Amino acid sequence: MTSMTPTVSASGLSLHYGRTRALDDVSLRLSPGVTGLLGPNGAGKTTLLRVLATAVPADRGAFTVLGHDPASARGRQEVRRRLGYLPQTPGFHPDFTAFEFVDYVAILKELADRRERHREVRRVLEEVDLGDARGRRIKKLSGGMRQRVALAAALVGDPGFLVLDEPTVGLDPEQRMRFRELIAGAGEGRTVLLSTHQTEDVAMLCHRVIVMAAGAVRFDGTPAELTARAAGRVWSSTEKDPGAKAGWRTGTGSFRNVGDPPPGAEPAEPTLEDGYLLVLDGADTEVAA
Amino acid sequence: MAPGVTAQLVGPLWRTLPWRALAAAGTLGLLVAAGPLATGAEPAPWQTLLVLRGVALIGALGLVFLLDDPARHLTAPVPAPRPVRQALRVALVAPMAVLWWTAVLLLSHSASRPPAGAVSLEAAAVGVLALAVAALAVRLTDEASPGPFVAAALLLIAVLAPLLAPEGWALFVQADDPRWPAGHDRWALLLAVAAVVGALCGPEPLGRGARRLSRAGAPG
Repeated sequence: MTSMTPTVSASGLSLHYGRTRALDDVSLRLSPGVTGLLGPNGAGKTTLLRVLATAVPADRGAFTVLGHDPASARGRQEVRRRLGYLPQTPGFHPDFTAFEFVDYVAILKELADRRERHREVRRVLEEVDLGDARGRRIKKLSGGMRQRVALAAALVGDPGFLVLDEPTVGLDPEQRMRFRELIAGAGEGRTVLLSTHQTEDVAMLCHRVIVMAAGAVRFDGTPAELTARAAGRVWSSTEKDPGAKAGWRTGTGSFRNVGDPPPGAEPAEPTLEDGYLLVLDGADTEVAA
Repeated sequence: MAPGVTAQLVGPLWRTLPWRALAAAGTLGLLVAAGPLATGAEPAPWQTLLVLRGVALIGALGLVFLLDDPARHLTAPVPAPRPVRQALRVALVAPMAVLWWTAVLLLSHSASRPPAGAVSLEAAAVGVLALAVAALAVRLTDEASPGPFVAAALLLIAVLAPLLAPEGWALFVQADDPRWPAGHDRWALLLAVAAVVGALCGPEPLGRGARRLSRAGAPG
């Protein structure tokens, strides 16, 4: 589903931790679908997510979520009523069952009618494939199942804006694949901002990708546009090319190089990760869209 | 906050209370208070006062865990405000704390017991101070469970306060000391200040200055 009105509209967001610049004049507009947020550690991804989730206020700049401005206490309440948030380290009350924990979060989200709330809790637990495990205590669940409990807690109340901070970190490939399905489903009809280190997650899930470095947006466009940044700048060679910005030996024994190819280099198919590396390298720092 | 939410929160919040820490502190406090009674000793008034002050500190060390919340980060941006949740936690524990302290007083040696009102004021001030320091830790840091650090800080305060407090601001005086009434005016002031600090620490999100201490929670 698409909409002309952005779900989230932010301009000039800046935030400092002491002397450290965590966010530097970040502006963006998010619309329904899954937007990936890529960047190295310390790039400001988590800080941006926390600001947009109203967990931390920015020093400067403004943003709205679904038309509500969180600068005022009333606006913040309205934003929080429409928000689902999965932090990097969710944390649980381990003696709660999955149902009890999501029910607790549902109460905090002001779902006061017990019968409707319980129906909603069962719905989100089914949605994340935990319907059969809803009576199990969280301390007995695996890491992947706990992460799904946290996603269910974020989804409860059917929020219009979902903020996910590295939800697939620490999951095995099968769990990660399952999580991708869940995020793709969550992105149907709502706006999802997904912070991740996994470029494959972005390539498979996102209609749009934002790359951050040093607190600033370095790229904002589609995954195809990010991949296109590396067009003609990836090549194969038998030895590592000293002129390459990055190069590594592949499973076939040849070297894959990224950067400015020498004359006569054998071109290789670029990937989203190649484009990401080149953006981070500083060769391409302008905002694309 | 939507009507009915506060009442619905009571059950889950009751279950999230740090029962182990509270039970451990409560049990230890009762055992210490009952020590002279159990041994048949007849302690001097200063000894009974010392025991009661020690028990109050033990109880406060249990209370510092009251605001720990492992799910803090996940439940940070929810419509139900944090001050309401914290106030509910305190309200749930307060009646038990009062009963516990009453039991402590009853277990202490009646002949040498200091005035109950004054020593209860001291206990209340120490308890509220513990909660205020815990609220400050929650406010200024990203720690989901700052209880152990707060307990260490409170112990340090308890050790240093009698040593460093200026003569004109003595708090730990004996019942027969002429400074006893003035000392308890100061305990009352301490109680009020701690209560205000605790209440002011509730609202979120953090202001600019406080965020400097929250850096640890923002790696990406």
